Amino acid sequence: MASVSRAQDAKRGESFVLGRRLAPRSAVPWGLIWTLIRTDFKSRYHGTLSGFVWALLKPLSMFLVLTSVFSLVFRGDPTYRLDLLIGLFLWDFFGEGTKTGLTALHARGFLLSKARSPSWILVATAISNPLITIAVFSVIVLIYLNVTGRPPAPGLFALYVWYVFMMSVMVVGFALGASVLFLKYRDLNQVWDVVTQAGFFVAPIIYPLDVIPERFQLYLYLWPPTAIIEFSRRVLVDGHAPTLLANVDLVAVALTIMATGVFVYRRFAARAAEYL
Amino acid sequence: MGHTVVEARSITKTFFIPSVRRTTIREHLLGLFEPPRVEQLRVLDNVSLAVSRGETLAIMGRNGSGKSTLLKVLCGIYPADTGTVTTTAGITPILQLGVGWNPELDAIDNVYLVGSVMGLSLREIRESLGEILAFAELERFAGLRLKHYSSGMASRLAYAVAFRAVQDVLILDEIFAVGDAGFRAKCAARYQELRAAGHSMILVTHDPRIVDAFCDRGILMEAGRIVAEGSGAEIACRYQDSLTAPAARAVKTSV
Repeated sequence: MASVSRAQDAKRGESFVLGRRLAPRSAVPWGLIWTLIRTDFKSRYHGTLSGFVWALLKPLSMFLVLTSVFSLVFRGDPTYRLDLLIGLFLWDFFGEGTKTGLTALHARGFLLSKARSPSWILVATAISNPLITIAVFSVIVLIYLNVTGRPPAPGLFALYVWYVFMMSVMVVGFALGASVLFLKYRDLNQVWDVVTQAGFFVAPIIYPLDVIPERFQLYLYLWPPTAIIEFSRRVLVDGHAPTLLANVDLVAVALTIMATGVFVYRRFAARAAEYL
Repeated sequence: MGHTVVEARSITKTFFIPSVRRTTIREHLLGLFEPPRVEQLRVLDNVSLAVSRGETLAIMGRNGSGKSTLLKVLCGIYPADTGTVTTTAGITPILQLGVGWNPELDAIDNVYLVGSVMGLSLREIRESLGEILAFAELERFAGLRLKHYSSGMASRLAYAVAFRAVQDVLILDEIFAVGDAGFRAKCAARYQELRAAGHSMILVTHDPRIVDAFCDRGILMEAGRIVAEGSGAEIACRYQDSLTAPAARAVKTSV
């Protein structure tokens, strides 16, 4: 198999242009990461704040439609609206993150042919836009909870941030594996579209989990976003944390997805430039 | 010559060319019970070469002889099937001009993007942005999105960035085919400068005059193998012979 040894790696810090020494390069190219995030944001929202506001309005408008429709069905449940909003935004993060992550290598493949570049960075930074959206949303929810007189305990809000982080781990893990597979299987994004469409209804976003008979609820948790959404609602809306075992489970699931993604990625990434 | 900066030992690279190309899951599922018919194309066959500090090596050969693949393996963009590439210095490739831009971004952002992939720090890019745009003669179009650029403008920009990012070894694929005479002359001057500064270069070209003028050494490739090695002038000569031999016959028969 390939046994390309690169002394260059070991001596990266000593790279120099004859006559003028370059600054020693750090192991993680922060400049590249920052540039990718910045240009991604710029090309997505045309560099304007209003473009970004539009992106936030998408799940919000869905929220308005759904609340007006479902206020007839689930009348008398005051927490429903907040549950719905949290579910929608977390789902939007998951859906957008996996979707852009899946095509990240393909979309940014032109950089792979430029130089030997760490392609995992191209994949991992692809979720920056959805991550910014969920961060802004989280601040808004925090303000809303404080204004309406039900501020979450700091520890519980920290737990919510942890859940968003766990979802990021899942999304990046998925994106790593899927983005290299997408180079080989070009209809993977369409398959994933169908999966996420169905997944939107598998996860208890527009309906409360309680409408499902209790013995079936466990099966819904097999779909990873379910746990993130439910746990986030528990800490933000109900004000109590899920059990330790449930939390450990969640971490295990996230790490499994990440490990699988990294495994697939390592298997195919070296040849990524060939599949482009 | 100085010590070796790039060394390739027995590089082999095979591409699988499916007779029926399957690029979707659907096709893979449908073809599950049909063994895939693939043709193996050995693009590089036991290729070894070494480049010393300050040396310019030309790789010549007809289309499809494996030159560009060899460059990509040397840069680390493609992995080799077997064999090793050892580099003891930074490599800057200039390959596949024209591709490699985000069409939705303007020139400045694209320079940041490509420059940082090529290993420049943000500060280095910021400081040399004017110099890069001036070299590409694109100052007026700095704010224009790349999708509105002509191919000539885009490749001039690619050169300008790569020239600024150049590390010890410069790897160039079909480089002298870009821009008008003025820009080509500017590039040629820059190569001479880089050579004089002691940079090593590996370049692929079809132009024997360039090999004659620029290159210390050359190799001639044919069907993935190195068939001749020698001085630049020798290889330029051999390459022309290999081209004209069949062409001469063709002329004879047509007369």
